[in-house]
Amino acid sequence: MKIPYAWVREFVDLRLTAGQAAERLINAGIEVASVTPLAPDLKGVIVGEIEAIERELGKGHSGYPLFLCRVSAGRDHYSVVCGAPNTKVGVRAAFAPPGAVLPGGRRIVAAKIHGVQSQGMLCSERELGIGEEHDAGILEVTDASPGADLVGALGLEDQVLEVEITPNRPDCLSVLGIARELAALTGARLRPPQVALKESGAAARSLARVRIEAPDLCHRFTARVISGVTIGPSPAWLRARLRAIGLRPISNVVDVTNYVLWELGQPLHAYDYETVADGTIVVRRARADERFTTLDGQERALDASMLLIADPRRAIGLAGVMGGANTEVTGGTKRVLLESAWFAPASIRRTSRALGLRTDAAYRFERGADVEGLVTASARAAALIAETAGGTIARGVVDAYPRKRKPQHVRLRMSRVKRVLGIAPSPALARKVLTGLGLPVKSRGADLEVTVPSFRRDLSMEDDLVEEIIRVWGYDRIPSTLPGGAISLVTHPATLRQSQTVRQALVGAGLAEVVTYAFSDPARVELLRRPADPKPVELMNPLAQDASLLRTHPLEGVLSAVATNVRRQQADVRVFEVGKTYRWGDGDTGTTEPRWVAIALTGGRSEPGWAGAPEPVDVYDAKGLAEHVLAALSVRAGTGEAGALGGFEPDCHGTLVAEGGAILAEFGEVAAALRESFGIAAPVFAAVVSLDAIGATAAVALRYQALPRFPAVERDLAFVIGADQSLTAAQIESTLREEAGPLLRRLVLFDVFRFPDGRSSLAWRLLFQAEDRTLTDAEVNAIQERVVRRVTETFHITLRSS
Amino acid sequence: MAHPRVDAIVQQARAAVAAAQSSDELEAIRVGVLGRQGSLTQLLRSLGTLAPEERPLVGAAANEAKRELEGLLDARLAATSETERQAERSRKRLDLTLPGRRPPKGSLHPLTRVHDEIVSIFAGLGFSVVEGPEIETDHHNFEALNIPRDHPARDMQDTFYLSDSTLLRTHTSPVQIRAMLAQKPPVRIIVPGKVYRRDGVDMTHSPMFHQVEGLAVDRAITMADLKGTLELFAREMFGPRSRIRFRPSFFPFTEPSAEVDVLCFVCHGDGCRLCKQSGWLEILGSGMVHPQVLRNVGYDPEEVTGWAFGMGVERIAMLKYGIDDLRLFFENDLRFLKQFA
Repeated sequence: MKIPYAWVREFVDLRLTAGQAAERLINAGIEVASVTPLAPDLKGVIVGEIEAIERELGKGHSGYPLFLCRVSAGRDHYSVVCGAPNTKVGVRAAFAPPGAVLPGGRRIVAAKIHGVQSQGMLCSERELGIGEEHDAGILEVTDASPGADLVGALGLEDQVLEVEITPNRPDCLSVLGIARELAALTGARLRPPQVALKESGAAARSLARVRIEAPDLCHRFTARVISGVTIGPSPAWLRARLRAIGLRPISNVVDVTNYVLWELGQPLHAYDYETVADGTIVVRRARADERFTTLDGQERALDASMLLIADPRRAIGLAGVMGGANTEVTGGTKRVLLESAWFAPASIRRTSRALGLRTDAAYRFERGADVEGLVTASARAAALIAETAGGTIARGVVDAYPRKRKPQHVRLRMSRVKRVLGIAPSPALARKVLTGLGLPVKSRGADLEVTVPSFRRDLSMEDDLVEEIIRVWGYDRIPSTLPGGAISLVTHPATLRQSQTVRQALVGAGLAEVVTYAFSDPARVELLRRPADPKPVELMNPLAQDASLLRTHPLEGVLSAVATNVRRQQADVRVFEVGKTYRWGDGDTGTTEPRWVAIALTGGRSEPGWAGAPEPVDVYDAKGLAEHVLAALSVRAGTGEAGALGGFEPDCHGTLVAEGGAILAEFGEVAAALRESFGIAAPVFAAVVSLDAIGATAAVALRYQALPRFPAVERDLAFVIGADQSLTAAQIESTLREEAGPLLRRLVLFDVFRFPDGRSSLAWRLLFQAEDRTLTDAEVNAIQERVVRRVTETFHITLRSS
Repeated sequence: MAHPRVDAIVQQARAAVAAAQSSDELEAIRVGVLGRQGSLTQLLRSLGTLAPEERPLVGAAANEAKRELEGLLDARLAATSETERQAERSRKRLDLTLPGRRPPKGSLHPLTRVHDEIVSIFAGLGFSVVEGPEIETDHHNFEALNIPRDHPARDMQDTFYLSDSTLLRTHTSPVQIRAMLAQKPPVRIIVPGKVYRRDGVDMTHSPMFHQVEGLAVDRAITMADLKGTLELFAREMFGPRSRIRFRPSFFPFTEPSAEVDVLCFVCHGDGCRLCKQSGWLEILGSGMVHPQVLRNVGYDPEEVTGWAFGMGVERIAMLKYGIDDLRLFFENDLRFLKQFA
């Protein structure tokens, strides 16, 4: 919200620059985003008077005729070409002589236009950067003498504070509110605007009537009537003020309501009195399916929760949000009915959101307007209307106030101040601070009793006052201490320790950790889904359709990271993510969030180096890393059948299973269709480890085993498997292990070789060792022979001759 | 002491050693003379067959010869080995400027690094970690934290909804509620996790980011304790010269509330580009737990007080590592990630 500093100073004497005032406000919790000069970046722009129009030069590109004018700037005179519609002799307007600089560093030089030398330029609002107006022509500055500096002539020698008010402080959404804050912070006296109201003629009561049919939503509604107004443009000072706060001047009556809104924070609305049937206002709920055209010309469908301002015949305003087109003040309006009311914040907020109609009025009402202050605002606006539009103010105000606000008192114990803050000012100082904020205070023994004024709806309990005191006294007075109290054991959840272990293991194995968005594209989810998978969790209000689901498959994030890198010419990608998927379930949220480690690999197994080109990754890298994760978490697993997750190539998809059969991990080659949907051309191998499944699996307890004292005997055995045999290494290994018996201490598959004819050879190294003696060759030979016979006979394969 | 049979062996061995060119040849001579089947060994073994009066003479001579030959062989072997090693080295000619053969180096995501650092600092201060779900109920995320429906404070956090009553948590604060409902005071926890706001992606906004929430509730917890704790944190995270300042602010679930700034560690308060000339960098929001929030979880605000804070992990990481674009965290370009290896 833009707050011109000069306006603030009308209500409080401050010996501070705008920058210093901003600093004080920031330190008291009123955020000031910027302090900028009101005048745009103008140099040398002055007021010029068109003394004479020398001749017409034909049409310019705006379609208006171009004139060669003689412009007086006091002492100096210039020949200037101007094509504005309001080019007239006697007009005083913004003039940039050669050498002047307009916003954006645009330096004015004498130039030829239509073959004529133009010494400078008469400027529009837009060209000067002080408004949007351009079509109306050059900016007229009626009450200034030629040659005067334009910035001074327009009263633009001011600074504007851009304040950002937190939702709890609607009282600061006004110039007066900011002035009140600064008065409290500096000890200066606050001078609210004086309203000099000249009422005459008929009583307002005889002209207007107000009936509140929804007192729960409208606590107060006042009406004043101003007769005999002449609608027209506002005076320059008013237009300048509105421009300074970023509003477009419209007409005197409307401008005044906007002005008072900014000054006092109370939204007001002016109706063309003649259009309000019987001069009677009815505040009621809308009927279901009632339709209403707001003054922006939009027809809106209402529902019964919305509050309307109506007359006995029809709706005339959307309460607290926007007026109606049917009662709008127009050029022909002669008599005005001025509304100043209080509407229930939640209702205004619901209505404004439901209709997508966010207005300055709604913004203030939904935060809470001042139910007592609205009468002053009405008077202030009535006086300004009479001043700017003429007319007479009817005597009195029609005030329907069915739910009168009860005075609120809050007891403040000084001991509580100390208890919350760790420090407290003296009661006298606390009193001074609160009084300065406009809160009447009485002493009650050691404590204070504070009366909360109607403009501070945010203060309802003791700790609110604690904050007020320290906010003004200064947060820098709070000392630094450390919490005392009993010390208890610091504990971290098992899930956190688990993911830290996994991260260490995989980073140690050379993988890069990634963090990716939890949102999913429905098209992609379709590729990852298996028919039996549950319906994905969907957002009601996603940012984009391709991010409307929550992740269903652990691989989606790592694959997107692979895609990003491959697209950026990095073909070797080895990444992992510790993350979650989201699914419907039970519990208070109706969902569960399974935890996973996802691994994706593509390209080379290691960095390319001088010792030889790295091998490309394959499915055993993915499997190995899954095994590595399980080992890091001390979980034992064997290889199982293809798993439950979609997204893998069906013939290259395996699992690691715990003893009881629970799937702990899945690995394989990423399905080509899925990878292509990410735009990845090279094969990608991936593994997914379920951290929840591991959490439910008993870790292997660490236990020391005595080191062998007797030498070991090593034997190598290679078997040849026929091309037509479907036999796995695991099958042979388990038979081999079984036959070899307890003396076999270690079994390592150390060579796999595929003959051109399709046969393959698997070679194991067997290590035999006894705990109590040195094994003899004869003993080991006997075992070896048994093993070979058993394996070859069981599987119908042969021992490979060396 | 000489003995002709011994002399013959010694003479021959001396000649052979002198002629030998390599350590292999010398080893062969050693075996041939001094080995188990060597000539001198054989001679010593055959002492029994000599006349009794000859035995001591031959024995003594042979032992002396053995010592002499061993010395001779060792000396020659040492010399030869050195020559051979030199020859070997010059033949291999190692280029030690070749890069070493390093194991592949992975990298922790910068957000994980900062997360771990935050957790470890607060663990040192007696804070336990608690986690909570990312999908939350409206009640835990808003209502229990004093943010009713139709309250403008909801504008402060634009929210992704799954249904009227469930949403993606907009902050880690709902875990405060869960933790306090699950235990009696004293409470001293931190809550790291992902949070979501309905913001488009740009240099400083992301629909998903990470927070760490802190909560301390006890019989005598004050705002001064909050300041002291956060001051310690800032010094650990940003260096011993760090200072913080409190600024009043508004959060519906704390009263009083404070934004916390850390003294800009680039300009130390003089004003620079990083701190937008203010000298201070905003790092977190905090405050005393609102009495109504304590009541909502069945605590008595007359019995206990507490404070809470919430900081953005991305924000801390950006400041700490000088990262100027939030999007980098979620793009996962390896050239970015590997800088944190």
